[in-house]
Amino acid sequence: MKVFLTAIILAFTGGALFVNLGSIPDSFLLSHTASRFYREAVVTETGALNTVSAILYDFRAFDSLGESTVIFATVSGIVLLLSRKTLPVSSAGLSLIVKRTFGILTPFVFLLSVYIILHGHLSPGGGFQGGVLLAVITIIFCIIYGSSFDLSRYPPQRKTLIETTGALLFLGVGIIGIALTGSFLGNPSAWRGVPGTLPSAGSIVPINLGVGLKVGAGLAIIFYSMIQKTLKRQ
Amino acid sequence: MIYSLCFVALFMIGLYSILAQRDLIKMVIGLNLVEGAVFFWTITMVREAGGVPIVDLAFPELPMVDPIPQALTLTAIVISASTTALLLTIIVELNRMARTIEIDSLKGLRE
Amino acid sequence: MTLLEAFLLPLLLVIAILVVAFRDLLSSVITLSVFSTVLAIIYIIHQAPDVALAEVVIGSGLMTAVYIAVISKIRTYRQTHKRGEKE
Repeated sequence: MKVFLTAIILAFTGGALFVNLGSIPDSFLLSHTASRFYREAVVTETGALNTVSAILYDFRAFDSLGESTVIFATVSGIVLLLSRKTLPVSSAGLSLIVKRTFGILTPFVFLLSVYIILHGHLSPGGGFQGGVLLAVITIIFCIIYGSSFDLSRYPPQRKTLIETTGALLFLGVGIIGIALTGSFLGNPSAWRGVPGTLPSAGSIVPINLGVGLKVGAGLAIIFYSMIQKTLKRQ
Repeated sequence: MIYSLCFVALFMIGLYSILAQRDLIKMVIGLNLVEGAVFFWTITMVREAGGVPIVDLAFPELPMVDPIPQALTLTAIVISASTTALLLTIIVELNRMARTIEIDSLKGLRE
Repeated sequence: MTLLEAFLLPLLLVIAILVVAFRDLLSSVITLSVFSTVLAIIYIIHQAPDVALAEVVIGSGLMTAVYIAVISKIRTYRQTHKRGEKE
């Protein structure tokens, strides 16, 4: 009975999806005026070269603000669910060879994440990708050196501080946009600079930095609160 | 056409995992597969040929693919990661309270 | 539709079926990470490097770590619980 119901639901959903997707014409997106506008106005209106970053952090920056709020809500929920009054006692970590290797490798991971965040308006990347790479550093600390090392070097209070700093940077750039251009999260033309150079693209660079700090610290808090009781027994 | 078929097949596999599996973590994995299928379709629905959506200042008139689906997908990937983490946290708490993560053994939820 | 893609799309379907078919949770999670990597290669073929970067870092890096942390947490809880019952 259950198998029969599952098969019926799968068949109907698959048929409906396929029929509806097949009726979308091939030139569906060509006629979109929004995407044509974004492609033509990206350099003159924002000063950025990466169109995806320009859409995310300038044209639709309010959307990214809502997304940061979702991440904040998720982090709050996870910390609320997993918070116990147990101090994390960690394992000794992995062997000496792995520790030495990652001691050399981890600064370059940090350098790569900062590069991806700061060059978000010129090359592929941006706040989200670089921020997740920042969170990977916490995973390296927790797994390879043990979570007590992560607690001593990079305590949860400091992670919370970094996350709040990122959110306030994002909001502060939005309010500066009100003062300079008259609209929330507006891109002030005085900051735009020469397109193609590193200090250009107006408010996109500080928003990238804020989103990177926020996403990185938020995901690091999520992973840390998940691992802290696992390693307690060992 | 072939992308639509592939999308529907991936979606069905993920939906089957959500409907028929008994393990809650397997259901979350199925949700991840469905999300991956939707991202796949959003990226491959752009039929217009073109380059990477980054303006080359030397040749600013070169055609590029539609950047809007990529921006939407990028937002959705981060959201899906955080919702997956929240679901897994709820499963951990459920395991602590009900001592099981099999969907059929969760008697207390029905009452 | 390049030759590489004609190889990658069936591979994607096979990996997705394997993800669901594995009984062991750990194998399933590792296969899900491979699924994300193949998906990222398809994104690069479709001229979306930003999305590919995000998919590789999040889908096959971070989420795998979170899944493994959760699975090991559940297993550790079960083992300590069983040991507590015996004693």
